[in-house]
Amino acid sequence: MIGAVRQAIDRFRGTGSAALTLPPMDGALRPNQALEEATVVLAAPGADNLARDGERIFFSSANRLMELDLTRPEQPTLLAEFGANIACLTVDGAGTIAVGLDDGTVCLRAPDGRETLATAVGPAFSCPTALLFGEGALYVCHGSSKYPPSVWKRDLMERNAGGSLWRLDPGGGAPQCLAVGLAFPQGLVLGPAGELVFAESWRHRLVSVPAAGGAVSALLDHLPAYPARLAQAGDGYWLAAFAPRNRLIEFVLSERSFCARMIENIEPEYWIAPDLSPDRSFLQPLQGGAIKRLGILKPWAPSLSYGLLVRLNAAFEPVASYHSRADGRRHGVTSCVDIDGRVLVACKGAGEIVSVVSDAPREGSPP
Amino acid sequence: MTTLLEMRGITKAYRGVPAIRDIDFTLKAGEVHALLGENGAGKSTLTKIMAGAVQPTRGTMLLNGRVTSFPTPASALQSGIAMVFQETSLVPSMTVAQNIYLGEERLLNRLRGIYISAQQFLQSLNFPVDPSATVASLGAAKKQMVEIARAVRRNARVIVFDEPTATLTPEEKQHFMTLVKRLKRQGTAVLFITHALEEALEIADRITILRDGEHVATGSVAEFDRDKIIRAMVGRTLSGELYHRRDGSQVRPRGRRILSVQDLTMGAMVRNNSFSVYEGQITGIFGLVGSGRSETARIVAGVIKRDFFHGGEVRLDGRPVLYKVPAPAVRDGIVYVTEDRKVEGIFESMSIADSIFAGALAKGLNTGGIVVRMSEAAELAKAWSDRLNIRTINANGPAVELSGGNQQKVVIAKSLVQKPRLIIFDEPTRGVDVGAIGEIHQLINGIADEGLPVVVISSYLPEIMNLSDRILVSRQGRIVEEFTPGEATEENIMYAAVH
Repeated sequence: MIGAVRQAIDRFRGTGSAALTLPPMDGALRPNQALEEATVVLAAPGADNLARDGERIFFSSANRLMELDLTRPEQPTLLAEFGANIACLTVDGAGTIAVGLDDGTVCLRAPDGRETLATAVGPAFSCPTALLFGEGALYVCHGSSKYPPSVWKRDLMERNAGGSLWRLDPGGGAPQCLAVGLAFPQGLVLGPAGELVFAESWRHRLVSVPAAGGAVSALLDHLPAYPARLAQAGDGYWLAAFAPRNRLIEFVLSERSFCARMIENIEPEYWIAPDLSPDRSFLQPLQGGAIKRLGILKPWAPSLSYGLLVRLNAAFEPVASYHSRADGRRHGVTSCVDIDGRVLVACKGAGEIVSVVSDAPREGSPP
Repeated sequence: MTTLLEMRGITKAYRGVPAIRDIDFTLKAGEVHALLGENGAGKSTLTKIMAGAVQPTRGTMLLNGRVTSFPTPASALQSGIAMVFQETSLVPSMTVAQNIYLGEERLLNRLRGIYISAQQFLQSLNFPVDPSATVASLGAAKKQMVEIARAVRRNARVIVFDEPTATLTPEEKQHFMTLVKRLKRQGTAVLFITHALEEALEIADRITILRDGEHVATGSVAEFDRDKIIRAMVGRTLSGELYHRRDGSQVRPRGRRILSVQDLTMGAMVRNNSFSVYEGQITGIFGLVGSGRSETARIVAGVIKRDFFHGGEVRLDGRPVLYKVPAPAVRDGIVYVTEDRKVEGIFESMSIADSIFAGALAKGLNTGGIVVRMSEAAELAKAWSDRLNIRTINANGPAVELSGGNQQKVVIAKSLVQKPRLIIFDEPTRGVDVGAIGEIHQLINGIADEGLPVVVISSYLPEIMNLSDRILVSRQGRIVEEFTPGEATEENIMYAAVH
């Protein structure tokens, strides 16, 4: 009863749980133009899911699994084509690639090219968002219980939290559910103590779960952007954040009836919702907060899309960041991979893979 | 230029302790004369004697060659000597216009007439002050403007300014400088006390330096440079120590985020302000007067309240906090060292020991519960006086008798005694002499070196650039830019602050 009264007061005043506030992008997250100035490695529409297996680098482009040769980056090799868009992929270090598709299928591709269905031994997934090999098992993040990965925007705007984390045994053992009630989990990596670390995108945080299952604990919360995938990098990690949070979106998210009407009546590309690309269509409402001076969109304008790559230390604290701001175009950073001091970054919104030097920690430069 | 005012062998002693000794001083018509010295050097005492606020113990004063004395400020004013005091002498409950015309009221006053003529007069001085506003509602800079306007209006032959620019923004300072030049052209003698040496070198015709109540040097401005002035003021070279620029290698590493201010809003003064403060670093906040820096700090410390609806959030150690009064903020370890130390920082009539012990009482650190042991207070005060080098003639005397620098140290001691988690310094060296500035800077650096998060709010760019590990620039109620010491220049900070 007291909790309900408290919530009602919070909603009335805009405080507590109903506060429409965002953490500042400062300190390690201070904006710069590093992503915007990064070298283009390859232009590939829908480039996503970068993964590294020894010397080999893989990525996805729509429904195609590609291999990237850094000596000839402009000519990637097509490894396989699937019946649906690739939502996530991972490698085991011995040549096997696990691929999660937008239709819910999770399949394993052996070094000899043979494909087997991993979901044949587990529950029926509808939304695989992250995969990870570890201790003879395949860990799967199931992003949403209602929608496939490509319908992420709707899942966010409905404020769903039907995600779960699973441990599949390719040897045929029973699947094990490690965590439920997750708000769009993705970006699985192994933590320093062997725990599973992943992003809970709709709750703007990184969390961990013991590999054997257990309570979810927050490692880094209150992020100013929606976190996507994580990648191991020496003594730390990289975090790709695919869209910014802004107060307008937070406000729309808090207005449930308005949000429901928007979902019902308007095409998703024109929603007031996070986006992967800076679509400057006049039909899109308030892109860049409609802030223009002398016809120029300002870098600090509140935008629906953004490019952000964050360097984390071993304790998952941000230490540096690379940005493409509101006036940039390399938005929708969904994945990255560390290659000995160089980071390949997939900007899905811009359809590009770019390269940044990781040994120059940036706390930002004057915009 | 003819000598307008001459002081010979002026001595003033308080309880037998001389504040100034055998000072000889001359002021010529149409000159701008800068009076410099550390706090406690006797500058204010000398000027108060000129303006009739204090009577000399010994010595003579000549106005236009005739021996004179001013038993009251009114008599000095009648003789054409007006003083703009460091502590504003305005009536807070009256309007700006009423204060400007204070003492000149007729039997029947038409308020509208006073407002119109005050408006015209303030506009002629380029001072953007609303004549119908009550003085209590004005900020420090605008109060200072009203003080200056009042003195100028009386067509005084001698105008004494005690730290006139300490609270003014750079733009307002330019207006002030223009005004001084205009007064000079009219033949008015201007004497001003300042701690900003650049201002003295820029505008003064002659400079007089006092040290420890004694006259040290007088000469034309061409005879002085910054180092020479500082040497004369403190007896040693300090310039290089005080305001050197930091480079990137001197920046302290960033620790955990302790304070996160998110979309904080308070009326028109603070608008969606967001920034973080990290452990082990000094976060400098620069901004012009009215940019909402102090108000933000005061909301964080619970001194004032944010907007009732959608006022934003303050997170301390990741936990949302909402302080309606300062007491819970103090309990949580947030300490705010005010910019207005005389009004909010110290109890003027209380002793140093009592003032410092008040800090411990506020945090509930009194070991005796509801019983206050005076010996404990005295020991605490002694320890902090030694640590912060608080210099005083009489340890049991009231804090008001201390110089500005030592008063500031008492305010800082009162704050540090609370063992803070976060300390916010608002204009920590305003009205403080160069010797004490060095000590206060050292103290602030020491606090950050111990790993505490420190916020320094200052309108003085060299201070911000010398102290800060991160420089935030505030404009129109929000933080608009962040610089590292390596990339910060006076030009780009100022550009961010005004554009």
